[in-house]
Amino acid sequence: MQTLEPTDINARLVAVLEQRFGEAARALPGDADLADALPGFDSLAALEYVNAVEAAFGIEVDFVGDDVRYQFSTLDRTTEYVRERVEDQAA
Amino acid sequence: MTSHRTYEVLRGSSGVVTGESDLWCTYAAVRTLSWLGRTADLPRPGEVAAFLASRQNADGGYAWSAGMNSDAWATYYCTQALADLPAEARGTARASSGDWVRSTAHPDGGYAMTPGQTPDVWATYYAVRVLVEIHGERPPAELTDWLGALQAADGGLAWSPAHAKDGTSDARACYYAVTAWHTATGGRGPLPWDRDRLVRWLRDRQGAGGGFTFQDGDATECLWATFRAVSALARLGESPRDPAGCVAWITARLRPGGSFTRWPGYPVPDVWAAFCGVGALRELGADPTGLADRVVAAVLSFRTEQGGFTYRAPELASDVLTTSAHLLSGRLADDAARTALRWTEGCVLPNEHGVMYMPGRGSEVRCTLWALAAGAFADDAAARTGIARWLTGAIQNPDGGFGYWEGRASDTVSTCAAAEILAATGSTDAAARRGIAGYLSSCERAPGQYANVPGGKPTLRATLQALRALRLTAGADRAAVEEALARHRVRGGGYGNDNHRVPDLLSTYEATLTADAFGIAWEAGHLSRFLDSVRTADGRFAWTPLMATSGGPLADCLGHRLELRLSSERCALPPLALS
Repeated sequence: MQTLEPTDINARLVAVLEQRFGEAARALPGDADLADALPGFDSLAALEYVNAVEAAFGIEVDFVGDDVRYQFSTLDRTTEYVRERVEDQAA
Repeated sequence: MTSHRTYEVLRGSSGVVTGESDLWCTYAAVRTLSWLGRTADLPRPGEVAAFLASRQNADGGYAWSAGMNSDAWATYYCTQALADLPAEARGTARASSGDWVRSTAHPDGGYAMTPGQTPDVWATYYAVRVLVEIHGERPPAELTDWLGALQAADGGLAWSPAHAKDGTSDARACYYAVTAWHTATGGRGPLPWDRDRLVRWLRDRQGAGGGFTFQDGDATECLWATFRAVSALARLGESPRDPAGCVAWITARLRPGGSFTRWPGYPVPDVWAAFCGVGALRELGADPTGLADRVVAAVLSFRTEQGGFTYRAPELASDVLTTSAHLLSGRLADDAARTALRWTEGCVLPNEHGVMYMPGRGSEVRCTLWALAAGAFADDAAARTGIARWLTGAIQNPDGGFGYWEGRASDTVSTCAAAEILAATGSTDAAARRGIAGYLSSCERAPGQYANVPGGKPTLRATLQALRALRLTAGADRAAVEEALARHRVRGGGYGNDNHRVPDLLSTYEATLTADAFGIAWEAGHLSRFLDSVRTADGRFAWTPLMATSGGPLADCLGHRLELRLSSERCALPPLALS
């Protein structure tokens, strides 16, 4: 079964956010609300974030069934979501 | 024509206020302060810069609001206003908008408002000014040919070469074309028009009062038209027939002790009137410095908490879309709803019969549809007939389609809105219907798949808007609707505009509306699951499942109307179109 360490997932998520938000993403606390912590994190940026996460980890997000606004609202929640999805796919 | 008495309803604010900043208002405010040498009076210029910068997209262009596509209009206003702010307030360097602006260029020399759209003089003016004044570039030589083709038989200039063949000249088109030429050449190139006929046409727009009108036949002199006409004349090295009378008419628009209003009988000083009044006086060589304190005080009172500006004091700055959304949501009590409708009906210019987004702005097709859907003019047959005539007589473009407002190149969303308005007002204009069908055929990118502009990519909303408009005009194939819905149906719930994975509220609303219009059955559970995914904790609605907060009054309206459609009453969805 494929596993990814949360620290690895977190580092790759930060790299995804860095491409758009630069320095602000590097200093982001894991529990910070992205919409509050990243200037310009609007609905379009959120969509780009989810798409980039899908591409980075080879997963497919269910935009209606997965409560995406909760799962993708902080780095910690996204990390946990990705870990579970990667494990589900590998199972 | 709307009587002056009607405008008294606009003095107060019986519409609904958002308190939000508006891009055009922000540009007008900053430029007015800049002309008066008073940008230093801005208490927090960095907040204005942040508001403007937030409109920039990843493609380098700017949008009217965050999340929308870039257009030349927003790109001009944002870049120019940023350039007018004190250097230390502009913030960090941003991506260049030059590549995006060049992507709107056409081989014939004109520029379009968005890539793939037909060029018009509004967009060409904005693009040329951004390229020359912001990026220091020189537009291609073909620009002069395109501008030269704007001269109509009456000597004035029209919105596009195609408009010129029909003879529709307008003072705004003259200003945009002459300024684009002047900006591109420094005023030194050969003039691409018959100078004497153009100057005569412009001078003929000056009325007996001293102010100007936009077009031949307009009855009410207006500060916006005056500013554009005297500016065009100034760039040609000319002046009005009666410059002193013009200055007197402009200064007569000042409220006692206050700022400018737009036309005689209009009671509210607003940001555009300040912009036009100060701008026109400068063009006429009349020093506006003596008026600066009162105008600056008024303009600064239009600031919002978002950092930008609205058109008047924010607590009174109602707009038609928000007001219509509240009416359609049933969020106003009976008395408040009646006064809000009367306020909405007051948002009609003296010389245009459509409804404006904000009072004193030009009439807009989509806003007119929302206002009618909300109940405006329901008992006023003459006004409804006037709206239909405004659409078919003044707004419909030579290609048969409709743009956001007069002179704007056609797009599918406005064309759909116009078709819905014509149906709602009982218009039977066969030529207008044929024109609509003709324009939409130019947007069909693949069988049954439509784009918002002729060179755009097909989307669900543009496809559904086109098919609804065709159903109302020339007939449409139900199977094409079924196929589009199947292509964009998100398995878990709702519909996506670009694919079948990411649903959004606007696409889902249009999908349900169109299915109903064509008698196509849909699954209540599928819609209900989608609404659950965009309903916020306080019972309002987000535009997509990704956002935790309401998308604002328009999103709340669409979400609520979908809830009503799901209710036991199965309330019909109003035929709204937005983007």
